[in-house]
Amino acid sequence: MARMLLLLWSLGPMLWQLYSSLRPNEALSGMGTGGWTLEHYRQLLQSDPPFLTTLLNSVVVGASSTALTLALAVPCAYALSRLGRRQARALTALVAAAAAFPAVLLFLALLELARDWHLANQLLALSLPYAGLCLPLAILLLTAAFADIPIELEEAALIEGMGLWQRLRWILLPLMAPAIASSGLLVFLFSWNEYPIALTWLSRSDLLTLAPAMARIAGSSVYTIPYGAFAAATVLGSAPLILLMLLFQRQIISGLTQGAIKG
Amino acid sequence: MTNSGATGFNGLELHGLSRRVGNHTLVDQLSLQVAPGEILALLGPSGCGKSSTLRLIAGLDPVSSGDIRLGGRSITTLPPAQRQVAMVFQSYALFPHLSVERNLSLGMELRGMARAEIKRELDQVLALMQLQEQRQRKPAELSGGQRQRVALARALIRRPALFLLDEPMSNLDAQLRDNLRAELRTLLRSTGVPVVYVTHDQHEAMGLADRIAVLRNGRLQQLGSAETLYRDPANRFVATFLGSPSINLIERGDLQLGLRPELLELANAGSPVPAGWEALEGQLSHREWLGDRVISHVHCPGQGTLKVLSGEGFTSDTLQVRWPKAQALRFHARSGERLPGSSDPHTA
Repeated sequence: MARMLLLLWSLGPMLWQLYSSLRPNEALSGMGTGGWTLEHYRQLLQSDPPFLTTLLNSVVVGASSTALTLALAVPCAYALSRLGRRQARALTALVAAAAAFPAVLLFLALLELARDWHLANQLLALSLPYAGLCLPLAILLLTAAFADIPIELEEAALIEGMGLWQRLRWILLPLMAPAIASSGLLVFLFSWNEYPIALTWLSRSDLLTLAPAMARIAGSSVYTIPYGAFAAATVLGSAPLILLMLLFQRQIISGLTQGAIKG
Repeated sequence: MTNSGATGFNGLELHGLSRRVGNHTLVDQLSLQVAPGEILALLGPSGCGKSSTLRLIAGLDPVSSGDIRLGGRSITTLPPAQRQVAMVFQSYALFPHLSVERNLSLGMELRGMARAEIKRELDQVLALMQLQEQRQRKPAELSGGQRQRVALARALIRRPALFLLDEPMSNLDAQLRDNLRAELRTLLRSTGVPVVYVTHDQHEAMGLADRIAVLRNGRLQQLGSAETLYRDPANRFVATFLGSPSINLIERGDLQLGLRPELLELANAGSPVPAGWEALEGQLSHREWLGDRVISHVHCPGQGTLKVLSGEGFTSDTLQVRWPKAQALRFHARSGERLPGSSDPHTA
């Protein structure tokens, strides 16, 4: 019973969106009974630029941000977890402070940067601020995960004659896979949902990512709220995330609970 | 049984080995030799520097001063990979994501060994350690004893010039430990290389090692065979650390007498004391019946409780505990140093 309630609680809104996206406008505004329609999806996919382009843009930005963040965070976390205790504590406090820093305050400065370095309207350039904002949290998560790996495992590998790269490749990274998967997913989610930076850095409509594109749908008309189109965009926009979750389910769950149970 | 002086050149030699961290000395001027085929146990309580010593030899920690030589060549500054040492960790440090087979072969694969050769070595070691059935299993699916065998196999397959073991039995239950001791000794002997075995368990050290080095606060207290350490301890620490039940200590002014429980004899209270013997009277507080022997705890006023090992216990409650004077060990009360000569002929 409790499980059903929990399921309803978490799945309810999603199912409601799915339901709304399949109903004609008249039914949604209460002026008719309607029936079912794919009209909202058709509109969305045939708009200019097509919604799929928007999705693809978000995937590109998300993937590049995730890759960049992990490429920087993994070595940082490894170093932090292997440093002497005192230095590590000081640096970790610094990283934690950076993670707690309100990103909104950077907004104007980032805009300046985008203008000076001609980063506006470049999809891949968006992964620079995204990675920058996600790095502290990713480093903290991964440092904790590295610290959870018994040092003897690495020492055993060292005695076996493995170099740094070999130890990372064959021993540490495979053991880190769950933590890397869950940190990576957090970064991907962040860049998938990010709005203000994407809004200001991108102006060409064929380059828009999901969040600003959806804002355009909502703001396309002053007099009517396009519930149906909105719901359809929501459904399409969350589909890739659900897919990702399903793909990495096992890693993510063991990554989130890592360190909770020893041994 | 091994003569360290004559063969030391081919084995492992430590010369004035020290490790300091901050103003803390973990290992202090340690010098010793281990001959090829010899098993040396580093014995001591936790924090005595035995594991630190092992880590220095393995190259996992940097040496503060001193020299480590293996086969006549200094390895003090070599990285661990080039020392040709194999180490069995207390936790075994098996790679949890790899099968037994891959745990053993990964090192060889990465060194670029031929596939056929790796397979031959694997088959040989797995057969020796009776692990063929488990070769595809992950460490989590193995029993404690099997994990230990995998850890040993991983060390053996390297054909090391030196074998290091850090409390390899401490994760096993007592029964299994007793059974494995002889097996492990034979296995380690068969490698023909020096073996350094770290343990805090005196039974393990006495049962496994050819010689035992007792450490305390990073300093070598005494080095010798189990028998030497037991019968002829250099100081009170060694005397109390070895032996179970532990040695009895009684105060004699500046001196402390060390009396092994099996040296003591029980008699009825008030019995005449034979010439050359010394005696104390006391109350029997309780008795441990262990089947083949009995440990009587006799409370002697002013001296604490003495443990007496005998075949049969006395039934009366007031007892005399006596011992031949010549066989008591004498220690300096303050420093704990062993004093030469055990008996005083004038006070018979």
